[in-house]
Amino acid sequence: MAEAGRLKQTDVPKAWVDPVTQVRIAIILTILVGWELLAQSGLLYRDVVPSLGKISLAIVKLLSDPDYYWNLGVTAGEIGVGLAIGGLSGLLAGIVLGANRLLRRAFEPYLYYLGPTPKIIFFPIMIMWFGVGPGSKIAMGVISCFFPVALSAAAGMQQIDKVLIRVGKSFRANAWQMAMKIYLPAMRHPIINGVRLGLGVALIGTLLAETKLSNRGIGFLIIQAYSLFDMPRMYAMLIVLFVLAIGANAVVGRLGGLHNIQRN
Amino acid sequence: MTSAAALGRRPFVPALLGFGSLLIFILVVEILIRVGVINRYIVPMPSQIAMSFGRVISEEDIFGRFRLTFFEALSAGALIAVVGISIGILLYRVNLLRLACETWIAALASAPSVLMYPLFLVIFGRSALTIIMMGFVAGLPPVILKTLEGLSGTRRVLINVGRSFKLGPTQMFVKILFPAALPTIFVGLRLGLIFTLINVVGVEFLINFGGLGQLINDLAERYDLPGTYAAICFVILVSVFFFIITERVERWLRPVD
Amino acid sequence: MAVATSATRLAEDAKPDAAFLVVDDIVKRFETPDGAITAVDHVSFTVRPGEFLAVIGPSGCGKSTLFNIIGGLIDGYEGQIGVAGERVAGPHASIGMVFQEESTFPWRTVIENVAFPLEIAGVKKANRIERARHFIALVGLSGFENRYPTELSGGMRQRVAIARTLASEPKILLMDEPFASLDEQTRLLLGDKVLQIQQELKQTTLLITHNITEAVQLSDRILVMTYRPGRVKRIVEINLPRPRSSDIVSSEAFGRYVAQIWGDLREEASRGMHDDEARALHAGDRP
Repeated sequence: MAEAGRLKQTDVPKAWVDPVTQVRIAIILTILVGWELLAQSGLLYRDVVPSLGKISLAIVKLLSDPDYYWNLGVTAGEIGVGLAIGGLSGLLAGIVLGANRLLRRAFEPYLYYLGPTPKIIFFPIMIMWFGVGPGSKIAMGVISCFFPVALSAAAGMQQIDKVLIRVGKSFRANAWQMAMKIYLPAMRHPIINGVRLGLGVALIGTLLAETKLSNRGIGFLIIQAYSLFDMPRMYAMLIVLFVLAIGANAVVGRLGGLHNIQRN
Repeated sequence: MTSAAALGRRPFVPALLGFGSLLIFILVVEILIRVGVINRYIVPMPSQIAMSFGRVISEEDIFGRFRLTFFEALSAGALIAVVGISIGILLYRVNLLRLACETWIAALASAPSVLMYPLFLVIFGRSALTIIMMGFVAGLPPVILKTLEGLSGTRRVLINVGRSFKLGPTQMFVKILFPAALPTIFVGLRLGLIFTLINVVGVEFLINFGGLGQLINDLAERYDLPGTYAAICFVILVSVFFFIITERVERWLRPVD
Repeated sequence: MAVATSATRLAEDAKPDAAFLVVDDIVKRFETPDGAITAVDHVSFTVRPGEFLAVIGPSGCGKSTLFNIIGGLIDGYEGQIGVAGERVAGPHASIGMVFQEESTFPWRTVIENVAFPLEIAGVKKANRIERARHFIALVGLSGFENRYPTELSGGMRQRVAIARTLASEPKILLMDEPFASLDEQTRLLLGDKVLQIQQELKQTTLLITHNITEAVQLSDRILVMTYRPGRVKRIVEINLPRPRSSDIVSSEAFGRYVAQIWGDLREEASRGMHDDEARALHAGDRP
């Protein structure tokens, strides 16, 4: 063992990156190099593929612009409220449907078949009902995430190990105790997954609504950059947005997974 | 067994309840609007919406628009099938690539790729190509991931059967691995097609070009409220129809499960 | 080692203070796509305080149905169930149930699982924890209080389930094939544990099982059921000495009891097998 501060012999160099990371770095480098070549070649109309330098500069400008953070806050707020309303109502709907066979067979098909429709087409209606402000954007978020959360919750109710329900009944737990101490904990995985999915679609629904008709928020900024043909700024915003979206998804997933490691 | 649960088991009662609730809901809305509780300029009467169906169908060339949307979705679908399955096979063959890329592709699937539409607008212009490419990007990840899953999930015993017959690697792939993976690949294709269709219609709406999505946008901008609602209903019907068809096809292709 | 017939046994148990659990003329029918089947057909018996009664029968003899009826989880039957003089309709505070399947809550630690019935009953946290600890020690799992069920073996999880039910201090413990999913050696050792606990607590116990060795090892009396429709075929008094341990399985008397019960069961079990085969044969016939 080398003593602190003094190395008697040269360390044997170990591979400091494993093959997988090497491949990943190679792929990223290829993309970056190809990009820069395309940018400098002048093949495409100027700035359709801006140089990496311009994009990096735009990212820096973006992240140091307080205006950006204000808009980010607006969008995050809209998504948050939309997810809360849509998520809670979806959870409630899913639990009710999962608990009652008749209701489930009557109404689950509606959820199931309406789920994979493009919700953005409802936006004109949302504008009519909630105005051109944040209300219509929140409404878009709500209708986007209601369906996946409700379906996950309903499926989760079905998948609860039936014996656990019998245990609760055999100990004469009342309805509230059954819901809080048995149903909800037993469904934590489907619920977390449903919320993850819901977050993803609420994000998309809200942002698309902002691009269509808004005067604030990230979606608005993106469309504004488009109309001004400020491509480096648009790329910058898209990159930051993707990083944030993937990050948020990973965080929610980790929250659910941590639960997983600890408790089964 | 409680009576509600018993009722739930009879085949037609749930469907009746579901359908009946919908009819009652529509009826209540109609009455509330006529009475004035709901503002008729915000929510058109269901009867008005029903009547505008005919107008929308004949005046707005709905079948032509449907054809255009269908063509866009189909093109994007063909692309995701060819490119997606190929990439899936490639990643399966080259394990190192798979280890490097699989999580990236999964992350991409959860990313809001449709938000790149302004970018695609710049690159491809306001055309069907933009719409097809957006559909392509949206539907690609599930196809790749499911192809990978299907190929690597082949039961060990089937591979051993192939080895016991001394099959070469190409034969193994063509005669055992790929056929065994086909059901899962179709699940991926179906998922991909759904995402593709959602994005195709959505982008049509957003960029105000194309078939059905554009129709909704158009009618909304003309303040033709009943027409807008009718067009939205139409799109929902098309989407549901599409979903059911793909479900049937998938079930037909996987009789064993 | 005379075998008491069911008739005389029931007559003796008719005395009210002798019986603790009274199962009185239970009939339960089910509607299936193949028509109505009678799962339980006029079954009557009693369990005395502190007694360990095993109900044994082939698969399909309705013993699990009986378990669920006594536990109050099924209704729609004829006849009645009485516990210490009271009529039972629905899950009863005096009846504790241990289920056949994995029934521990995977999201709660061992001690949280065992404290569950106390939590439901509104016992304060400090008291709950203390009492739960006592029952965890009783089943021999001291030290595992803060582990999660996934960290334990199948046998340990069943012990947690038993401790959980015992924590509600039921007057009657109902167990439905609790050791069915365990291997034979674990079963024998757990059987020892159950015997020990039962003897210590003088817990009245009704055990449903298909395992003859288990039944003879643990019980005072064995009720043999027929194949569907389930009726009482015979009640056998087990006169093996108490306190017992798993060593008893090697004794001659033990072997004789097992042989005797198998004699009764074999007939029922083979009827069950023929039934299954007939059904499988005609499974494709229906349009």
